[in-house]
Amino acid sequence: MNNDFAPYEPELGGFEDVPEADDEPVAKTGTTTVGIATDDGVVIATDKRASLGGRFVSNKNVQKVEQIHPTAALTLVGSVGGAQSFIRSLRVESNLYEARRDEPMSIHALATLAGNFARGGPFIAINPILGGVDEDGSHVYSIDPAGGVMKDDYTVTGSGMQLAHGALEGEYDPELSIEEAKDLAARAVNAATERDTGSGNGIYFAVVTDEGVEIEDHDDVTELL
Amino acid sequence: MQGNHEQQAYDRGITIFSPDGRLYQVEYAREAVKRGSASVGVRTPEGVVLAADRRARSPLIEQESIEKIHGVDDHIALASAGHVADARKLIDFARRRAQIDNLRYDESIGVETLTKAVTDHIQEYTQTGGARPFGVALLIGGVEDGEPRLFETDPSGTPYEWQATAVGGGREDSQSHLEDNYEDDLTLDEGIGLALEALAEASEDGLTASGVEMTTVPVESAQVEAVDEETLAEHIDDRDLGGEDDE
Repeated sequence: MNNDFAPYEPELGGFEDVPEADDEPVAKTGTTTVGIATDDGVVIATDKRASLGGRFVSNKNVQKVEQIHPTAALTLVGSVGGAQSFIRSLRVESNLYEARRDEPMSIHALATLAGNFARGGPFIAINPILGGVDEDGSHVYSIDPAGGVMKDDYTVTGSGMQLAHGALEGEYDPELSIEEAKDLAARAVNAATERDTGSGNGIYFAVVTDEGVEIEDHDDVTELL
Repeated sequence: MQGNHEQQAYDRGITIFSPDGRLYQVEYAREAVKRGSASVGVRTPEGVVLAADRRARSPLIEQESIEKIHGVDDHIALASAGHVADARKLIDFARRRAQIDNLRYDESIGVETLTKAVTDHIQEYTQTGGARPFGVALLIGGVEDGEPRLFETDPSGTPYEWQATAVGGGREDSQSHLEDNYEDDLTLDEGIGLALEALAEASEDGLTASGVEMTTVPVESAQVEAVDEETLAEHIDDRDLGGEDDE
């Protein structure tokens, strides 16, 4: 009789084959990912570059934000393999939860689960942003590789985080419209791509509202500014 | 499987259907539930009431040691009827399962989610070789998202949701009283009264305050709250449910 609950593991897939470490030269996102929560929803923006050790651009067209829930999206930051596996696991858990309980997971529950997985799982070097909307409003969380889950009004992760933060500080306002938040996020990502070798090659947006998640990309950030 | 032993053969193994599609062991487990004393659940807009008959079979037994209603989590309680030892295993399963949602999601588990986890667990014991079904029925009551919910589990592992129901011995009498007198706008206090009336229907010699265990989960607090003996005595007295040999 199955009596062993494993609250820190995915129900499907499991954590069995934990790779040693996502050492180089595996693809890493480098990355700048920005999440901004406003009264109208959440705007997430990322660059599009994958690199090997931050020195060689291995892909110029990476989608680093994915929908994982009817009204939530997660960014890929760190090891590409770890981040993709992390996203698949969370998406499956979110689907199962909703199928069983006939209501979507709250964003807080999703963030808790993501923290548990990051802490207990083989996702080594990841540092994503989770953004979502539920009946309690708009939420942005950063999740660190040790499973730390921190909620904020706006947050940045990735190799370009200090540059992007510089562009965001003092500019945030919870009453920003979605368009204004996209503009602010674009400026933050652009600031990072100008100087961080791990970030560049355009921008992806995910706009999350209570209606759902919309994802779009642009090859040239400067055109948006 | 010879002629006159035909039926016996089908009740030896839990995993064997009889030719007419019945699982005798599950049906026998339901009989075990009927041998237990009654438990009643009533859902009102103000909260859920669980009541159980816990009369002592000897004046020397410590009344407090007869436990039929158990807290599962802050916001969920359950009442049992049938084999106490079987119930205890399910109660611990339910308590552990409830805490899993706190660990996994940092959320309190819903009453429906918990009930279905318990009934899925019960079901495993109707399909696994060498196992015996749980000889117990549970009433699981609580508040989720501000809504009172009341569920029943039976030995087959089927969950049912109720406005008001009874399990255990005398179920039919309690149930018909509930069906005749239930209204969907009862106050919690009226729900307590109705639950006691239904419990009295299943009892041959009336109720005593010390022979009844009662717990409520009010919507307002969403916390399991035991009803004290004094309150029970007042209700029993008000409704004249005491029976003849009550002092």
